[in-house]
Amino acid sequence: MFTMQLFNQNPNKYQLFSKSMKKTVMAAIITETQSIKEAVTSINTIELNKFSRLLSRILQKLHLKEERTFSEEEEQKLQSALSLDKQDLSLVLDTTAFILEQAVYHNVKPASLKQQLEKIHLSPEKAEAFCQAWTAVCPDVVEKVRQRIFAPKKLEHVGWQLNLQMAKSTQAKLKDPHAVLELGVRNEDSESVVEKVFVEFSHQELLQFYNQLETVQAQLDSLT
Amino acid sequence: MSSSHAKVAVGASKDSSFLGGRIPSEIEIMAKQLKDLDQEMFRKILKAVVSAIEGKDCREAMKAIAENAALPEERLSYVVAGMYRLLKEALRIPTSSLKQEVFKEDLRELRIPEEFITDFASVVFGNRRTALEAVATQQGPRLPSLKDFRWRVDVAISTSSLARALQPSILMQMKLSDGKGHRFEVPVSKFQELRYNVALILKEMNDLEKRSVLKIQD
Repeated sequence: MFTMQLFNQNPNKYQLFSKSMKKTVMAAIITETQSIKEAVTSINTIELNKFSRLLSRILQKLHLKEERTFSEEEEQKLQSALSLDKQDLSLVLDTTAFILEQAVYHNVKPASLKQQLEKIHLSPEKAEAFCQAWTAVCPDVVEKVRQRIFAPKKLEHVGWQLNLQMAKSTQAKLKDPHAVLELGVRNEDSESVVEKVFVEFSHQELLQFYNQLETVQAQLDSLT
Repeated sequence: MSSSHAKVAVGASKDSSFLGGRIPSEIEIMAKQLKDLDQEMFRKILKAVVSAIEGKDCREAMKAIAENAALPEERLSYVVAGMYRLLKEALRIPTSSLKQEVFKEDLRELRIPEEFITDFASVVFGNRRTALEAVATQQGPRLPSLKDFRWRVDVAISTSSLARALQPSILMQMKLSDGKGHRFEVPVSKFQELRYNVALILKEMNDLEKRSVLKIQD
């Protein structure tokens, strides 16, 4: 109602109003701070195809939290390849990563990203490179980041074994099916160590467990 | 020679007692000790041994028996040891394989007095049998089993990396029978894998139970 009135009174004003609304939303992604200005200056000096390759490399590793995108040696090679000193290089890398992370966070459209980059005075060709790289991988990266869970321990692997118990020291002549579930749980801090949890189930116990899993599934289904 | 032939003729398909080819020494010694034991005393000891098999603490009962009995300690210990072994061995075998008559016959071979045989038989084949079998199922080597299972479904609305995440995840907490607890997060895809595998095992168990290998008579 309010907007209709506004439109009728002054159509141009309304357009300006909505445009400024859009602008404020867009500006939230990247603000032109001093370090951004410096980074942009450095980025604009880099050759276009080298920069495109840099972009795709950073995008590949964006969803991985702790890993460094480039090793020490790689960074040194980059320094000479891009004719940047160490400080400038790390500023360029950090800023590029930051821009991409913000793009992921807000899930921006490529066109909107381009506009933002031009606003912070990135050269049009570089902005275009960003745009293209982003268009290519955007949904995947967002999905991967979405699937990242914060948890000290995560279930990674499920294995099992079905045994037929024929006898034990306390009972002879059994024919008891028993299942052993092996759950591989990875600890957040230890990248390589997977803790194996073994749980044994009789037929009855397994049935109970399955019913509980079904309840969980019903809950998941009710979410969608 | 002739007695074993006679046994075969009668149709007994075994040539040794349910205790195996060699009778355990504690049972043989017990058999001798039972000769002039009073039935009252025997029943008291039997009761204590049965509750021990059930897993209950029977130290009080044993102390009481040891104190006021006219029985020397050494004799008591032989009797207890023999009884325990005998009952454990008998309870190990399912009732489909060991019939009461055969059991009694084997005990007669050991020259155990008839009244005591009846008492033994009433423990092994009586209505306490199911309780004793349940204890035996619980014992024996086992990997830890699931004592307590709790879960939680969360939806991550927003994270530091994504303003609108809307990603469900599951938190599971398992307490195992060895006392250890495990708490871990399960991504939805892994949960589906877990559920699928459990269903698969259940199906295989069902197939296994129907298969003819299980229908083999002992």
